[in-house]
Amino acid sequence: MRFVRWRKVLRDLVSHRFRTVLVVLSIATGIFAVGVVMGGRAILLREFNAEFTASVPLNADFFTMPFGDQIVRRARAYPGVAEAMGRHTATLRYRWPGSDAPRSLLVVAIKDFHDVTVQRIVPEDVRSWPPRRDEVVLERAALQVGAYKIGDTLVVETRTGEKKTLTVSGFAHDINAVPAQFIGAETGYVSFETLPDISEAESYNELLVAMKGTDLTQREASLLAEDIKRDVLGNNGIAVLGVYVPKPGSHFLGDIFKAVSLLLLALGLLSLLLSGFLVVNTVSALIAQQVRQIGIMKAIGGRASQVTWMYLGLVGIYGTLAVVIGVPSAAWAGKRFIQYAAGVLNFRVSSYVPPDWVTALEVGVGLVVPLLAAIVPIRLGTRTSVVRALTDTGVDSTSFGHGIVDRALGLLRGLPRPVALSLRNTFLRKGRLLLTLTTLSLASAVVMSVFSVQASINQTTDDLDAWWRYDAQIRYPQPTAQAATERVVASTPGVTGVESWIGALATLDRPDGTTMEGIGLLGVPYNTTFIAPTVLAGRWLQAGDTDAIVVNTDARQAEATLDVGQRVTLEIGGEARVVRVVGLIKGQLSGPALYMDRAALAPLLPQAGITQTLVKMASSDSAAQRSVLDVAENRLEESGYRVASTRTQAELRDQIASELGILVAFLVIMAVLLAAVGVIGLTGTMTINVIESTREIGVMRAIGARHGSIYRIFITEGLVVGLMSWAIGTAAAYPMSYGLTALLSGAIGLPLSYRFSWTGVSSWLGIIAVISVMASALPAFRASQVSVRDAIAYE
Amino acid sequence: MSEIIAPGSPEGTLLQLREVVKVYDSGDVPFTALKGIDLDVHTGEFVGIIGKSGSGKTTLINMITGIDHPTSGQIIIDGTPVHRLGENDLARWRGRTIGVVFQFFQLLPTLTVLENIVLPMDFCHMWAPKERVERAMNLLEQVELADQANKLPAALSGGQQQRAAIARALANDPPILAADEPTGNLDSKTADAVFSLFERLVEHHKTIIMVTHDNDMANRVRRALHVSDGEIVEERVHRPRVGA
Repeated sequence: MRFVRWRKVLRDLVSHRFRTVLVVLSIATGIFAVGVVMGGRAILLREFNAEFTASVPLNADFFTMPFGDQIVRRARAYPGVAEAMGRHTATLRYRWPGSDAPRSLLVVAIKDFHDVTVQRIVPEDVRSWPPRRDEVVLERAALQVGAYKIGDTLVVETRTGEKKTLTVSGFAHDINAVPAQFIGAETGYVSFETLPDISEAESYNELLVAMKGTDLTQREASLLAEDIKRDVLGNNGIAVLGVYVPKPGSHFLGDIFKAVSLLLLALGLLSLLLSGFLVVNTVSALIAQQVRQIGIMKAIGGRASQVTWMYLGLVGIYGTLAVVIGVPSAAWAGKRFIQYAAGVLNFRVSSYVPPDWVTALEVGVGLVVPLLAAIVPIRLGTRTSVVRALTDTGVDSTSFGHGIVDRALGLLRGLPRPVALSLRNTFLRKGRLLLTLTTLSLASAVVMSVFSVQASINQTTDDLDAWWRYDAQIRYPQPTAQAATERVVASTPGVTGVESWIGALATLDRPDGTTMEGIGLLGVPYNTTFIAPTVLAGRWLQAGDTDAIVVNTDARQAEATLDVGQRVTLEIGGEARVVRVVGLIKGQLSGPALYMDRAALAPLLPQAGITQTLVKMASSDSAAQRSVLDVAENRLEESGYRVASTRTQAELRDQIASELGILVAFLVIMAVLLAAVGVIGLTGTMTINVIESTREIGVMRAIGARHGSIYRIFITEGLVVGLMSWAIGTAAAYPMSYGLTALLSGAIGLPLSYRFSWTGVSSWLGIIAVISVMASALPAFRASQVSVRDAIAYE
Repeated sequence: MSEIIAPGSPEGTLLQLREVVKVYDSGDVPFTALKGIDLDVHTGEFVGIIGKSGSGKTTLINMITGIDHPTSGQIIIDGTPVHRLGENDLARWRGRTIGVVFQFFQLLPTLTVLENIVLPMDFCHMWAPKERVERAMNLLEQVELADQANKLPAALSGGQQQRAAIARALANDPPILAADEPTGNLDSKTADAVFSLFERLVEHHKTIIMVTHDNDMANRVRRALHVSDGEIVEERVHRPRVGA
């Protein structure tokens, strides 16, 4: 090398291998955290949006009485319509050898699988495509709930009560299908020829419409859907049972995506900040160690600019090495993260390559942040007068003893001498202590906040149990006799109570002429003891409420006109009724719902009868409850009452938990990642602190300190710093976790029950204590192995 | 063998200090380390600064090398008003004008002996890069360390490290060598060898200013300045021995 000074830079890297590894690891950890979080978020959104857009999502979904190709052609030709297709859907009960309990299958029959123009389906692992007669291709999310194999047979129960067999002929992917784990029903694709075999008519009963325009608003989509309903369907004698108009461009998991995305963004920014502090702290410590050498170089003719460039070069090499380690590691971990996310959220990934801006951000964290962080300490170091630099011991002998804290520590009496020394040592380098505490407190706060957000989610699902005062639910495909079904179910061994509800779909007529179709309206006895709703505003139903409804928070979120005190027009049973919103209750993670007194709703419906039976059971064991429910279902079938679905509340809770579980899983991943940043930060800081104290260790050993005494001093110092950061982090975690929980609540449209996680606080205390001890003991051990002479002469 | 003379200011001086005062403010009470020092040193002189610990001798040599700044007064070396230079100009000036030798050698631990000697040439852009190694080897030969050139400082004895530090101080062929207790960390035999090396350098017209508290060493320098309480209280000029 032409210039010797650059040799010094390289030798410093090589000869202080321990320090080099620490610094590079600290910076690489920062890159890793930012890369995984920001890169993961960017890839997640890019890949999901690309696949969702390519699938041609629908803008209006019409559930109708049977229709044919003529209607589809008219819909396609309708102004404003980009694509339209018809299909036949039916939900059937089925049994599968892999499971004891009956399950639900959403059968989707398509006439021409090569001409799917809306909500495209991609075959993935199929023996035959399109599926042949009596074959079913399952949506791949089914694999998340069961070990289905090609060749398995599903015994489905048709509308007429017959049992038919469908053979699984493969798996396909449909990004628009609700994953099985979220709805407790698998989606299966069959050919039209199969329909008669399962007692379904060979006609369409669902019209899917994709509209023109990239910036379509929901109002425009609703208005066009109204026109299509009237002109294409109604005027051609096709009765419409319900219309679903999603917010254009939004997926049914949009809220979860929004929440995950927001969470990742918030945590990504926090990790960026954390990484910044980590790097600043590490580089400052590094430069502090080099002050004496800077002095020597200046004494033999080195100019400040030359020395500055040398150390910037050193930091640049550290950064480059960290980038070389951090970027590929982040890409690797990011890929695993996306694979996990793609599995649970059911989307395909065509590329795991992060966008350029993420790579630029990683390089920025690895190179620019360390260089910026180094500028101030390097300038301070090179500006230090030579005489001061040459006498530098890392500690200004006048730096301790003047502040309030120093004086307070000086007043502490009765402490063992090594403990007093540790406490005072902690406050010796106040600038470093401040940086270290900021980094570790931030990491502590973020990790504990993540614990609290997770606890809040768990609290929210726990609250469901408080709302549900029943154990299972039986749904019927059409209105059924209340007294007879109640008698059959109530006489089933293990059943302790029954209550019947009426479920209907209502249409909300908005003042602006648009409608909101297919809102769930539940007829519930006003004095029910089967639920305990949490009233957020107004009141619950009461006797004599003939025109009163109570709305849940999901409905309020979806429709602003459903405010307490408002009068709204609902189409119930084909008739418009003006009702009063008398109360707002907390939603139960099962979508928008309106509640009306059963006695008031029953006369408004064209067909008498109840649609669901709620069951209380003696046993609280979920498997026992499932057995009781299966017996009840069989008894109902034997008595001539067809059952559409049965579900224990434990099963529903599991489904909801699996949906929120995505958030919990993401949070856990983030907590682990940020904890790793914190732990490596703590280790690096502690280690550098001890390395800097090598000379002091030499002095202490020279005056008779044994290894044990030295360990105790540094371990106590490490523990003090660790505990201080834990205490500050705990104080900061409360507002931070409250904010994160509120952010999530807003994103998923559900008021989460906030709970501060003391488990998280105590767990982090344990982790930080162990890490503090380990991070201090190892370098103290290394330092104590150095001879007294070398320790005192340590540069 | 020696006579006491009053401090003077002969013409043709290489180094002039006028009314140099240094006050330290680090404690509760300001401490005056130098109380108006006047000093002239001629080219080729071998000057010893002698005094007890805390007398101000190290502060005085730090003023001369520009390692520390005077609170007031003037320092003019080879025509350069050192007291007016900023840190950056001082570093450049020092690299070319004064070679500094420290009590604890202060070789950079991660560079070999040879590289430590090339470093000042590198900093001050002296000699062509290819010639620097050759020159460094010549200097190492002069201090009898050529065979240790590629070792790291930690592998050398104290005396060898100090000779390497002297070679480094000579790297840019400065007219002045300033040494702060250069033998303070060495045994008497090694200290004697280092002192002999200084004497040879003086014969080659180098000006050497050396701080020492060793009276034996002080008796061997041409001119000895005794510092006490921040003042030069005594100056002795030793006449060369006959036949020396």
